[in-house]
Amino acid sequence: MIGMIEIRLRNQLSEILRLADLVDRFGEAHGLASGVVFKFNLVLDEVLTNIIDYGYDDGAPHDIVVILTLAGAVITAEVIDDGRPYDPTLVPEPDLTLSVDDRPIGGLGIHFARTMMDRVEYRRDGRLNRLRLSRRADPEAAGSAGTT
Amino acid sequence: MEVLESRSGNTVIIDVRGRVDSNTARAFEEKLLGAVAPADPALVVDCTQLDYISSAGLRVMLMAAKKVRAAKGRLALCGLRPHVREVFDVSGFSSLFLIHPARDAALAAVSQAGAPC
Repeated sequence: MIGMIEIRLRNQLSEILRLADLVDRFGEAHGLASGVVFKFNLVLDEVLTNIIDYGYDDGAPHDIVVILTLAGAVITAEVIDDGRPYDPTLVPEPDLTLSVDDRPIGGLGIHFARTMMDRVEYRRDGRLNRLRLSRRADPEAAGSAGTT
Repeated sequence: MEVLESRSGNTVIIDVRGRVDSNTARAFEEKLLGAVAPADPALVVDCTQLDYISSAGLRVMLMAAKKVRAAKGRLALCGLRPHVREVFDVSGFSSLFLIHPARDAALAAVSQAGAPC
């Protein structure tokens, strides 16, 4: 089973809803489990929100490209943006054991990627950030990305 | 996203529906934090019809928990669907909140004086 879609988004938070809709449709077209589609939507939302909120200094419109691929039993989402260089795999793990009073707000987005995906790979490609997120389509497979 | 607010005795029930993400978190924040009474608040967030929550939504939940604690009140969640529950589990938030399957149990939990937040 092979499928691929390329989604071009503007750097506006409202685009995330359109992305979620397209990811849902990709999942339906390929019979993917709803839990797996949910994980991709969550991780992509977190990655895109971060890029849109912090990736640009110039206030100008930018395109962000998301390429979703299903090859065999593996789903891959690649996010390509021309924002400032940013490697989310270098973000430290949040301390999940802290109490309500001590728990800081933030750092969860990359944690979701690490726990829900099998692989999280970043590379800087000229002016572009390229983040590849992949996991098995099997909903029972646990993510185990760690930092690569 | 839609937020319906109601009361049961002294407890405020926040019924949040749809998607809480970076687009809607601000509106959710206003509703939820606005529902925390200044003294001895009792709050139930009913997530039965919550389809989706991202870290932007968890952030609002955490802010509410901090505000409720500071006011020596009680807060419980109920009705988390499996995908939403997984977001709470993976983030460690399941151990920060009282979570009950049904609204009645959540209401009973927050109406007991002295119960933890």
